[in-house]
This record gives sequence, C-alpha cells and structure tokens, in this order.
Amino acid sequence: MIKGYAGRMLEVDLKNRTFELQPLDTGIARLYIGGKGYGTRLLYDRTEAGIDPLGPENLLIFATGPLNGSVAPQTNRFAVVCKSPLTGGIGNATCGGNFALGLKKAGIDILILKNQSDKPVRLEINGDKDEVKFTDASDLWGKGTYETQEILGKKKYHAVIGPAGENLVLFAGIVSQERIAGRTGTGAVMGSKGVKAITVEGSRKLEMEDPEAFKAYTKEVRAIFKAHPMLGGKLKACGTGNIVNTANGRNILPTRNFARGHFEKAKTISGEYIADHELVGVKTSCIHCPVTCGRDVETQKRGKIKGPEYETLALMGSNLEIGDAQQVFEFNYLADDMGMDTISLGSVLGFAMELTERGMLDSKLAFGKAEGVSEMIQDIAHRSGLGNDLANGVKKMSEKYGGHDFAIHVKGLEISAYDPRGSYAQGVEYATTNRGGDHAQGACMYMESTGPFTINPHSLKLKVELPVMQQNLMCSVNSMVMCMFTTYGMIPKQAHELSPNSMAYKLAIAAFENSGPALRLFLKKRPKTGPMMWFEKWLTYITGETFSTGHLQDIGARIFNLERMYNLREGLSGKDDTLPPRILYEPTFKGMTSGHPLHKLLPRYYDLRGWDASGVPRPETLAELQVVV
Amino acid sequence: MRVTVELTYDMSKDLGVDSLEMEGVRTVAELVDKAKAQVGPGFERHTRLAAIAVNGVLVNHKKGMRTRLADGDVVAFVKASAGG
Repeated sequence: MIKGYAGRMLEVDLKNRTFELQPLDTGIARLYIGGKGYGTRLLYDRTEAGIDPLGPENLLIFATGPLNGSVAPQTNRFAVVCKSPLTGGIGNATCGGNFALGLKKAGIDILILKNQSDKPVRLEINGDKDEVKFTDASDLWGKGTYETQEILGKKKYHAVIGPAGENLVLFAGIVSQERIAGRTGTGAVMGSKGVKAITVEGSRKLEMEDPEAFKAYTKEVRAIFKAHPMLGGKLKACGTGNIVNTANGRNILPTRNFARGHFEKAKTISGEYIADHELVGVKTSCIHCPVTCGRDVETQKRGKIKGPEYETLALMGSNLEIGDAQQVFEFNYLADDMGMDTISLGSVLGFAMELTERGMLDSKLAFGKAEGVSEMIQDIAHRSGLGNDLANGVKKMSEKYGGHDFAIHVKGLEISAYDPRGSYAQGVEYATTNRGGDHAQGACMYMESTGPFTINPHSLKLKVELPVMQQNLMCSVNSMVMCMFTTYGMIPKQAHELSPNSMAYKLAIAAFENSGPALRLFLKKRPKTGPMMWFEKWLTYITGETFSTGHLQDIGARIFNLERMYNLREGLSGKDDTLPPRILYEPTFKGMTSGHPLHKLLPRYYDLRGWDASGVPRPETLAELQVVV
Repeated sequence: MRVTVELTYDMSKDLGVDSLEMEGVRTVAELVDKAKAQVGPGFERHTRLAAIAVNGVLVNHKKGMRTRLADGDVVAFVKASAGG
C-alpha cells in the first residue's frame, strides 16, 4: 500500500446490518488521490444511472486522503460524495471538524454506506477491533446537532445530522463538531438511510515515506502561515467575515436576493465589526490548523455560540437586507443545529421574500425584517407548513410558484455570496462547476474581486483560463483532502505589502492579465515538472511519489471530467451550464447594459477543456486523462 | 456635484462615521486630496493598502487617479480579504 493511506475501505450495508472491509485500490488512488476524486470514481462505478438520490441505491461515501491524519495545517477534512437530491447530479461536500482524523485512526480511508435502515440507527465503528455496531438511535432522532454531539461525547470523532437531514430537506448537511459538509444535500441522503450519527475510534498512526522531511517542512510552512497577512492576519483576526466590506466595496455583496451588490448596513455585519463588538473567548479551529478562522460570539438569548462565516453573513444578512449581526448569529445557530447549508437556506429565504413582495407567495417573510425568519428556519427543518416547500430549494420553489427570472441557482444549487456580475471568472466557475453554483470549487473571486491581486473582473481576459485552472486545482485539494484556504497562501507576504496604487502592483497585474496564452499552454500540456507548493511537497513526503503543480492539474482535470461524465449520465447537459436570468441580464454596475457575458465565454471554456460545442468531453480528452466510463 | 465616500472599517472607527459626503470633486485625485485634509494624518495609514473603487469598479481598471466622478457616485476604499 502507498504510504499515507490506511489501505482499507469499509462498506456498511444498512438494510442487512452487515459490513465488509475491502482493500483500497492503489490504481484508483494513484489516479484520483482520495477524498472527492476517489469517492466520485466509486459512485460512478457502483451505482446505476437514474437512481433516486433518496432511495436505497444511492451510496453515501465518506472519503479521506493521504494528508488526513497528518499534523500538516488545514488537512483534517473529509469529503462526502453521493448523488445529490438537490441537483440530481454529482453531490459532494467537504467538512472540517475531527471526523477525518477519526477515520484515519480507525484505519479506514473510505466509508461507504449502502441501502437503508428501516429505523434510526447510530453506527459505532471501532477500527482496532474491526467492528461496526448498529445501535438504535431513536433516542437521538429529532435532536439538534449540538445536543446529539453532546450526548455522543465531545472527545469522540463523529459525523451527525440534525432534524433537517432526518426530514430530507434537500440542502441538509452533515456536521462534525462545529463544521458542516453543507452543499448539495448530503445530510438528506444520510437521513434517507436512517443514519443519525457515526462514531469512529481507533489508535492507528499515519505511516509516511519520509517523516523527518515532512516534520521539518511542516514546521517551516506553519511559520509561513502564521506570518502570512491573510492566513495569519485577517482570517485569524476577523474570520471569513473579513470579506463583507471588500465585497460591498466591489459591489458584489448579494443584497435583496441578488438584486444589488451593495448593502448600506454592510459594516455592521462585517468580520471587523464582529471582532470589535461581538467576539468572545478564543477563536476556534479544526484540528492542527493555525489559521483559527472560526469564532465564538455572544448573544443575549444563547450566550456563547459559534459565529457565522462570510457566506452566512452575506446570504442571511445582506441578501435578506438584515444588518443586525445578532439576528444573523441566531439564524446561523439554528441552521447549524438543524443541520442545514446556510448558503442554500439564505438564498431560498431571499427568494421567498421576493416572491412574497411580488404577490406570488403568501407568507410573512419580508426583506429587512428579521421577524419570522427563525420560525421559518425551524419550519424548513421540520418540513412544516410553507417550510415544506422552502425545504426543496430555490429551483423547485420556482417550479411551483414561478419567479424563474430571479431564482438564484445553477443546476439547482443556490449560488454562493459573490455576485458574478462583478466577478466574471467566478460566473464561469458557477456555470460550469459540476455540483452547481458554488465558489469552493475554484474560488476565482479571490483573483478578481476580493484578494490582494485582482485582475479586471469586467474584461474577458483570463475568464476561461482561471476557472479551468482553479477547478482542476480544487478537485485535487478536495481529494487530498485539504482546506481551500491553503491556496490563499500561494500569494506571498511581500505581494500583500504592495500598494494597489503603486506602479509595481499595476505592472504585476498587467503581466498576470496578459498571461492567457502561457496559461492555456500549461493547462493543455500540464507538464509534470512544474513548481511544488506545500501540499505537493507534503504529498511527496507522505506517499513517496512525486507530485508537482502539473500532476495536480492532471489529476484535477481527470476528476472534473469524471464528474462531468457522471452528470451527463444522469441527464444533465451543456444547457445546464448557465447562470440565473437575473445574473445574465440585469445590470448592477453603472454603465453596464446587461449582466454576465457567459455566452461569449462558454465556447472558449469548452474548447480549453477539450469538450465539443455541446459541452461533452471528446473521446480523446477522456483517453488522455485516463477517464474510463 | 455630490459623491459619497465609503471609508475602510478602521477609518470609520477613528472618525466615528461610516462615510463622508463630498461636494465639488471632479476626479479621484481631487477626492483623495480632500479626504486627506478632512481625515488628517491617519489617512495614509488607513489607505496605504486600500484600492479605490468607483461604484464598485477599481480605478486601476479605469483611468486611475484621473478617473472622473459624477454626481451620485460612490467611492470606496477597499482592502483585500480572504476566506470563502
């Protein structure tokens, strides 16, 4: 077995209450690493086309990678893969917390849940004893994720769902500690299988090819992260909420269901404001992470609780025109406790508010009004009253009530909190990402709207190359499995200290903007001699195999194309590579006559991917990437 | 002609206001000069690493400090951020 892997997969049959340990396939591991990549390969190979995502045939796959279980920063994440009940296509999400570490300690790289239990069950996995206990979970069913984890014991490694997952809310997630695998409805799939919680234990240690080199290099990187202006600076000081003011200044902060990109009360929901006024106690982090981007806040009602991330502040704050941070804290707490993705939740609430305002829906929800939102969150989680409709997400809501033009989703997944009208590459990323409209599969906004080096977001330069490069990279990052924030460290400290108004900065941006031809060549050839970033070095030290930027582009492109083939198999097509009409046609910038120019960019994107004009990967592209379908 | 200047969070904190209203500034350069005088010595410190956006578009992608302003424009000092 390659070092860094435990070498075992555990398949649990929930109907027959049996389990089987299987060897990890090293051939697949070499091609797809682990995490999302390996999980996607398994889902493709072991399920039939057209299955019901909430039926027994769907698999729920928890997958780690070779970096998990090491002490490298930002590497204690796991991926969840399944067919998405929200989109009908590939479903996946990654999550911090401690479950990834638990799986590796139990000597399990990948956990596969198949079939369904006829009553609520809790799985207790002991990797040292090679044992799986199926424990009745009737006593836990109905409880929130906080109470459930409290009962299970804070020191244990677990993944749980809340009432939203139990009630098959299509954007329910899976929770580990205070983190959530939020996107695409993985929690609903876990609920459909009757699994309330999974606990793992074991005492195995990760074997590495070169532990000394790994240790020395990790120490070095840890110091780089701590001194980095973003990883050790703004993210540490203000959490991800530090983006609110930037997004507002750049006119891309979703406001009023994406009708605008600017919110007058943005400052009072910003990370800086929260750090000044509401933050209490220590900042929180996933295991071994020096960034500590999590934060605790205090509310009158609940005392000290987990604070919201940027996505929540934007989609449940500005998007609903609510500028009171205390209200957003409460919404965030409820969403986490119920086990729901706050991006989809905020978006569906905004959509319902606009439907109501236009007289298309009878509800008490209204922009700028916090009253009734908490109750609706509970109703969604329990599928009660109107909440039963909102629980199906924006796409299905628009099919029932109308409002297609302002239904903000791609492929059924509600888009993240960066308005693509001020971030064209992010728009291409939303339109083409296989799991739907999401920022964490490329994070192009960092290089055109929010980060320290931003190209012109409104020119067409690099608006195809960036999404392809970033989507490939993130496919690999999500297969190791790492946090996307580690990629922010790729821009060195010195670059952050340049004034945006200086000549050096302008020259660097001009050089970057004109790097399209070189970047296209790199993306087509993916040479295996490229530079090594820290994650490539870590992979090399742990596994003993050579990794470079080119290797990760190669692997990432393979994973991305396999996901694409999965979606095509499930009935999605190039027609689904689009953006909401509001984003395509309604201008939000002065002088703009329309929205996002996707029609000019999509053919170029397909061409760079090696796909035909309808968005289908060409046979030679699949052959070159060794994607067998 | 009147434009609104949105300050960085730290600048707002120091001044005790979220934004400034300015009359009679025709370009970004004029606005910056006036803002320097109005804010005082803290201005350089607060804005050294801030980009300037007019109605959400960085002046780096327009005509830089020569970018002309129009009535009702919103000028923001924007700092880089990270997360997701």
